[in-house]
Amino acid sequence: MVEFQSIQQRGFHNTYAPDGSINGFEFRFVPIYYKGYWFTQCRFGNVTVDGEVFDRDSLIFEYDGLEYSREELFDLNKYWQFREPLIIKVRKEGGLSIGYHEVALQFGWVMNYNGGPELEFDGSGLGNTIFPKDHSRRMLLCR
Amino acid sequence: MEKGHPQRGISVYSYEVLLGKTMTLEDVFLEMYDTGATCFELLTSYIDNYPNPSPAWVDKYWRLCEKYQLQPAELGHWAENHLHRGPAASDEEMVALLKRDFELAHLLGFKSLRTKITCVNDLCDPEPGWQSYIEKALPYAEKYDVRMQNEVHGPTTLHTPHIRDEYLEFIHRTGTKHFGFNIDFGTFQTKPAKGMEWMPMGFGDVTKPEEIVEFLPYSWTCHTKFTNMDENFDETTIPYRDVIRLMIDNGWSGNLVSEYEGPVRFTAERSYENFGFAMQEIPEQVRRHQIMMRNLLGY
Repeated sequence: MVEFQSIQQRGFHNTYAPDGSINGFEFRFVPIYYKGYWFTQCRFGNVTVDGEVFDRDSLIFEYDGLEYSREELFDLNKYWQFREPLIIKVRKEGGLSIGYHEVALQFGWVMNYNGGPELEFDGSGLGNTIFPKDHSRRMLLCR
Repeated sequence: MEKGHPQRGISVYSYEVLLGKTMTLEDVFLEMYDTGATCFELLTSYIDNYPNPSPAWVDKYWRLCEKYQLQPAELGHWAENHLHRGPAASDEEMVALLKRDFELAHLLGFKSLRTKITCVNDLCDPEPGWQSYIEKALPYAEKYDVRMQNEVHGPTTLHTPHIRDEYLEFIHRTGTKHFGFNIDFGTFQTKPAKGMEWMPMGFGDVTKPEEIVEFLPYSWTCHTKFTNMDENFDETTIPYRDVIRLMIDNGWSGNLVSEYEGPVRFTAERSYENFGFAMQEIPEQVRRHQIMMRNLLGY
């Protein structure tokens, strides 16, 4: 079971390097949609926290115990199971402060029906879905 | 003509907002059992570890079917040929993914499929060339005893040109018994339902009930779509009574699966209040619809 929001508070925490220093933070994302996707259909945008933008190509995506870059996801022939959280890892020395943060993520996908297929992918789009692509949530970080 | 005896069922899709959040698949089966439904539609996405469910999950699935006395009716799947950047999938790649889903449907007891072929506009005109890979997949559909069905979903009507010029032509040319139509009852809808007035849907050109008769021989499962049931167990925007009467009088004995697609799915995740409302509203809407279907069918 997951929380009803797309950005999950459960799993929101700073991440630690082997030496114990904080090297970033992570959170989990579950699309608001009635079906799963092939990762090759998915289009990720930037993460923004309290106005600070983290470029999509700096993000690390963890699924089923393995880490991927955005570029690698384009060729990942794997099904993103329905209601299975994807872990988004963000590198940031010192991480986030304990307290409330506004966390946002852009996510879209290439839809194969009820609209024109994405005929030419130019490397900048968020797919052709008509559903909202901007997700955000105010969440409380404890560690 | 002998009268038909359609099965009364439910699409698991109706509960999608809650599935995996406040309802397990077993919760949905219990909910469906409560209504007296006897069959169901599943989507491939609701199969754990799709497209490779574990034997343990398949066992659990069959136990749920047995425990809650529900028969598999239709598996909703997708024939997507733009899953990767670059050119569309080849016929061979498409046949491989269709065959994979046919095998899975067979394993899970589904005789009909709702097959979503890639469309190029809101009217769901299929992307040119679909006939090639669908025809090559027909021998596998025969082998695994499944029937692909194109969903006729509003704003598409049964007189939208591609229905006759492409899909019906394909059925007649190939003589196949493994391709047809899931006629979604939304295609008969004449006005917006309560709570859906804001949707930019035109109701000027809709399917007339009598149009369904010609298509019944090519239809095995239909979506009895609804977006709002009132407290008197009535749906006032779709001529349910007329359509179901025509189906029965013309000997149709397929599956009618209630598909709730109401306004809560657009707003449920916006607030705790909205989600709490959805938790109550969704199962209740389906229960109301099932009472209407029982009243119309007599069982």
